[in-house]
Amino acid sequence: MKSRALGFAALLLGAHATAQEPARHQWDLLVGHSYSSARALTQPATLVLEKTRGSPLYSVLDVGALLRGSLADRTWLELGARAHAGSARPESQRVFGAVARAFREQDPLLVAIGAEYEADGSFAVERPAATAELTLLGGVPGLGTWVSPRVRLRWRPWIGVAWDGTARPYARLAADYTTGRVEAGVEGTGWLVQGSGRSFVQGDLSVRLVGGLFVTASGEAGRQPPRYEPSGRFGLGLGFRLGPS
Amino acid sequence: MTRKDDRGHRWTDQGVQRAVIRIVRRLSPGFGRRKITRKTRLHTDLGWDDWYVLRVVGPIRATLHETLEDRVVLALRTVGDLVSCVWNGMEAT
Repeated sequence: MKSRALGFAALLLGAHATAQEPARHQWDLLVGHSYSSARALTQPATLVLEKTRGSPLYSVLDVGALLRGSLADRTWLELGARAHAGSARPESQRVFGAVARAFREQDPLLVAIGAEYEADGSFAVERPAATAELTLLGGVPGLGTWVSPRVRLRWRPWIGVAWDGTARPYARLAADYTTGRVEAGVEGTGWLVQGSGRSFVQGDLSVRLVGGLFVTASGEAGRQPPRYEPSGRFGLGLGFRLGPS
Repeated sequence: MTRKDDRGHRWTDQGVQRAVIRIVRRLSPGFGRRKITRKTRLHTDLGWDDWYVLRVVGPIRATLHETLEDRVVLALRTVGDLVSCVWNGMEAT
């Protein structure tokens, strides 16, 4: 029983035994701010608690998780869930999402085809969509790798389209900077919705305490699906990350 | 000790390590003349993000004639992991 429990834990945590003996059917678990991109997964998941005199305790939660497993040598599958929630946010500004997407790598391109479900906090607005997006693996200074060991800045662009009865083209640009225990990142996404532009930007400044635990200041502004309602906030809280570094 | 790649070419473990380090260096032009060893971390020291690491697959297939599975490459953390992954994929002689 104990060995089965240990085996299950190793499966969940990825175990990283792949370097010695590649396991074709192993799944890796990644936890971060959101599953929207590699950058968002690198940004820690955050829980912020707010309390002012005479009012209840409010919370702000941003978390995403992905399970990643193989389909073929050049193709893999990701299953994910995310929550952009907490009692400090009005229901209309909370977002719950789930995704299943398959990646196909053909250097220099990486293509992802997926299906995503997004809903607001009351599930009054639900938006299932098919998605297709692509990025360049690298080849331009700073794209996917630091500009240099001294300038630890990197960036990654994505372009894509979501289809939910109408096409919503979008572009996403993520960048991050690291120095010592401090990490900073920003991710901006722009959508074209029925001929009109919408955008959403989120950023964070994190200081690593130990392992995957951080103190994180994070902020966001703009309009994000499914409601594209204007929102903005800034908070300071604890961050947690499991997976990419 | 030697092992054979998928085309039957024989490699020593040191030869595999040298070839992998050459590939990693070519993919890290900003890294300059700093030494790359088995302990060099792909994400933390070289700054490769989750997807950039996949750029090793093509050169390893071309040079060492080994096909690495993408998801396995995504889980690698150090140059040594990559060397071990290629070496373990080769056939013992």
